[in-house]
Amino acid sequence: MSRAAALFGLLALLGGGAAAAAEPAAPVAAAAGEAEIAAAAQAELERARALQLPGQPPPYFAAVRVSDLWSSTAAASFGALSFSATSPMRQARVDVRVGDYSLDNSNFAATSVDREGVAIVQMPTDADALALRRELWLSFDRAYKGAVEEFSARKSALEGRPPPTVGSFAPLAGPPVVRGAVPGRALRPDAAAARVTAMSAPLRGGEFEEGKALSRDYAGRRLLLTTEGTSTWEEVHGSVAVIEATVRTADGVRLRDARAWVARSQEEQLPTAALVAEVEEMAAGLLALRSAPVEPDYLGPVIFEDEAAVELFRQLLQPELGGTPPEEREPDPYGSPPEVTLSARVGRRLLPSGWSVVDDPLADPSAGGAYAVDHEGVPAQRVELVEDGVLKDVLMSRIPRKGAPASNGHARALGNDRMEALPSVVTVKPGRARSERALRRVALRLGREAGLPYVLIIRRVEPLGLTEDFEVALSGDGPLSGLTRPLEVHRLYPDGREERVRGLSFTGVDRRVLRDIAAAGPTGPARTVLDGPSGPARYSMGAIDGLRVSWAVPAVVVTEVELRAGGGPEPRSAPPPRP
Amino acid sequence: MTTPAARRLPLIALLGALLVAPARTGAAAGPGPAGPIDPADPLLSAAEAELDRLWTSLRARPEAPYFISYGLLDRVQVDIVATHGALAPVSTTRVRMGDVDLRVGSPALDNTHKLRDAGWGSEPERFWVDLPLTDEPFAVRHALWRATDDTYRAAVRRLLKVRGNDAVKVEREDQSDDYSSAPVEVDLGHVERLVFDPAPHAAALKAASARFLAHPAVHDSNVSLSVQDEIVWTLNTEGTRVRRQRWHLRLSVYARTTAEDGQEITVYDSVEARAPEELPDAAELAALVDAVAEKVTALRKAPVVDPYSGPAILRGRAAGVFFHEVLGHRAEGHRQKDEDEGQTLTDMVGKRVFPSFISVYDDPTLTDWGGVPLTGSYRFDDEGVRAERVDIVKDGVVKGFLMSRAPIASQGRSNGHGRRQPGEAPIARQGNLVIEVKDAVPYAALREQLIAEVKRQGKPFGLIFDDITGGFTLTGRGIPNSYAVQPVTVWRVWPDGRPDELVRGVDLIGTPLVTFERIIGGSDEVDVFNGVCGAESGWVPVSAVSPDLLVKEVEVQRREKNNERPPLLPAPAAGGAR
Repeated sequence: MSRAAALFGLLALLGGGAAAAAEPAAPVAAAAGEAEIAAAAQAELERARALQLPGQPPPYFAAVRVSDLWSSTAAASFGALSFSATSPMRQARVDVRVGDYSLDNSNFAATSVDREGVAIVQMPTDADALALRRELWLSFDRAYKGAVEEFSARKSALEGRPPPTVGSFAPLAGPPVVRGAVPGRALRPDAAAARVTAMSAPLRGGEFEEGKALSRDYAGRRLLLTTEGTSTWEEVHGSVAVIEATVRTADGVRLRDARAWVARSQEEQLPTAALVAEVEEMAAGLLALRSAPVEPDYLGPVIFEDEAAVELFRQLLQPELGGTPPEEREPDPYGSPPEVTLSARVGRRLLPSGWSVVDDPLADPSAGGAYAVDHEGVPAQRVELVEDGVLKDVLMSRIPRKGAPASNGHARALGNDRMEALPSVVTVKPGRARSERALRRVALRLGREAGLPYVLIIRRVEPLGLTEDFEVALSGDGPLSGLTRPLEVHRLYPDGREERVRGLSFTGVDRRVLRDIAAAGPTGPARTVLDGPSGPARYSMGAIDGLRVSWAVPAVVVTEVELRAGGGPEPRSAPPPRP
Repeated sequence: MTTPAARRLPLIALLGALLVAPARTGAAAGPGPAGPIDPADPLLSAAEAELDRLWTSLRARPEAPYFISYGLLDRVQVDIVATHGALAPVSTTRVRMGDVDLRVGSPALDNTHKLRDAGWGSEPERFWVDLPLTDEPFAVRHALWRATDDTYRAAVRRLLKVRGNDAVKVEREDQSDDYSSAPVEVDLGHVERLVFDPAPHAAALKAASARFLAHPAVHDSNVSLSVQDEIVWTLNTEGTRVRRQRWHLRLSVYARTTAEDGQEITVYDSVEARAPEELPDAAELAALVDAVAEKVTALRKAPVVDPYSGPAILRGRAAGVFFHEVLGHRAEGHRQKDEDEGQTLTDMVGKRVFPSFISVYDDPTLTDWGGVPLTGSYRFDDEGVRAERVDIVKDGVVKGFLMSRAPIASQGRSNGHGRRQPGEAPIARQGNLVIEVKDAVPYAALREQLIAEVKRQGKPFGLIFDDITGGFTLTGRGIPNSYAVQPVTVWRVWPDGRPDELVRGVDLIGTPLVTFERIIGGSDEVDVFNGVCGAESGWVPVSAVSPDLLVKEVEVQRREKNNERPPLLPAPAAGGAR
């Protein structure tokens, strides 16, 4: 154990967490041990080649990815710390594939076996190669046996049917990437605790029912080794802070607001004073919202601005850009072959004519989602996804699909998830960018044509990880909302006057509204969000989890969006305490 | 790495059963170094203020509460884990939480009343909240306000359902009230923060864990130390104010291997302590590691026993868990009232169910047994009621039940056994279960009696259950009332004088009433089992004290096993790949 760990343990016992320490704690950093980590990983990777069960194939590919970092997480309510933990973490993910590139065990949901060719293990943080090797030894053994079972199930599912027309794993298109060790950044262990304590303090006025801040900083490095010769070290670091507050109106309706700030590192996170200022502004808006008029059901043009525009595009566009095919499944008990439907479809119109979408992890190294090499060790590439509003190309990992046999360097995964292609740094450009005034004119004209006395401007929508509403993309008796709830909605009257309103949820929104964009402003600055693979799990990721993706999008006017009033009163039985 | 106890949690939660992790207890010693705590107790003051304010406010509501209680917890925990001579990160966590018991209606019928035939998910909602780590009065009060208000509204809604359900259903078999009165207790016992330096312990664990490297049969292993300093407050609108503190240290040794037939073999041993000074020294820890490693190695080669019935000895710790499962859970008060329960003992009060030489009682006020600390000890239960010794069986006759504040027809008051894991609703639970036998004999004589019984029954062998990993019992009516105790070490005893033979792969099973009658003797050697028990109100520390017991007939069944091949490659060796 490092001295820092021991000291922190003692301080926490004595003083109740990092925030209680009077002096800032010394920065912590991943302990020395690159040599031991690399040696252990290389030795067990080499030994894994010899894994073979009787009558079964040996691995044709194996990989080990070791994340070695410090993480600091803290939570606070009303200016008082409720959780604080800072600790090192060393986790390995091993991948084993049997078969060959054309057909292997991967990308297959084998319901008849309970293991897979991927294993995750927590490792000691000491620089002890033998102890690290023992953990990897058992992990490779488990993953190999899982891969064999998966492969058998997959061959069984294909028995009597035509072989797949696309391979299982794209061979490397170039020489394997080799990048040397990196030191890993230091982390200030008390920063997250100090941040959440300060951020939640403005909410202690007595009017708020909830006033929670949550933050996580992490810094370290990651090693990837494969039997193909890939050997990369990379720095990993990040910082996220979120705030959530609720108030209740006089008649008992609960109103909520939430914001998130995602940065590439602890150093690049907004200064605490700036975060506090944003919370104060949010708090004032939420208090004022209590007396705002309730918006009835609305059907008409909507202007999406600022963060709302980012959420509109990222929630609706991401599933259309990722080319990773869904996992194949085993046939059902009646032998019906499972259907595999690709979400992203080249040639589909996603946006109006003239629009373009580009994903480039390399263009701006300072962008939140930027990287040089993806999680499979493939060099990142710029991909021109949408031209003239039509999808021309898709983001790819090494899981191939028809028409896209190779990776373009967009594989990223959380935990033991499969290596799906995800967006990284996305720029959405309209064919014609109008001024803010022109956008409003368009919206008001559309509203007039629909017989509406005003139109709506939505400036903020719940960030995905902060939504309370899991119905967005799952199930429900009525139509799915399709988009997380709006947090800041204004009426825009023909005379230019704005009036904030409350009490709305989207209904029936899907990707088609993007084709229904009537006008757009210029592409704004990139905003970085946390995201994950498309699918239901994307809506329950957690507020501080996910992979960074940067989106630069324009404000837009959508011709017709439906929103419904909701959230009836449920008054409290007793008044809250006063500070 | 998961301990056996943690891996079993979902099963236990489902079945409402018990699981215990085996434990060895270190020598008793005085309290460890202490740190001062604010005598003003600002957390309690803030909670009291909010309890008073909300009591006044909610009493003005049309459906007013008749009782509110807060449970507060402040726990600091340090976890150190060493594997194969290397350390995982030392984890230090602090948790502060509060929960609310709020009752509307009346003690005769309130919102906690069971909804009959309502199925899963019909239990009263229980709200708990995270409390700030700092003594910030407003943040504490605000959190408790939200929890109380949420609880109140849920209680009013549920009371409406209770009244409807009670009207529709037939008359209850047990007409007792839902809640009983209890004496007001004010006991703000002195508390001192444990000051613990993890560094020397981490070094000791690291060195001890490296000893497993000398045992190639051990595939996976660790040595861990969990240190808990827990302060719990109970305060209610009747005026009770109780503050308790518990220092609990558990040093655990875990090893796993896979036998050639695919059975996964895990051996887990632990030492419980109440202060760092009670933990084993380096030599004792090394011996503990070696013993676990040798046991795993021996079990890997041991033969599997076929299903069998015949005479057996349960050594002290195994006997303690056996009684905990077979009798203890059936003596919990709420099971006598719940019409979904099997109620094995409900109508047995005053009747003989055991041989007359057996007596059983539960006494949480015992702190030690023969110098060994008992982890099931407490002075006040989680409802703020003073703990009492309860005679469950006296000379073979059922005398009474363990009671929380939920009364039953035959017992109208709590005897201080309302227990829970923080955040759960208290129910009657065991503390320190003590089994006593008359006419005890030395263990050697009991072993001779076993061999004689084997010969008398014409059985090929007898069994000795030396150590156990845990167990569970099923107490409901909808399923067979049965139990299973999972031994680690079982010895086959041959009547012809051959050496005892270590065997594996069986669980001890049976049904309660038949088993009670088949105990035919006990030894004068008493052992202590310290562990944790999981049931409807979560995990609580428990102890069982028992002599070795001779049972005329037990039944064993094959243990559930994996079918995993052992690792295909040899373990990596120091100095390079093999």
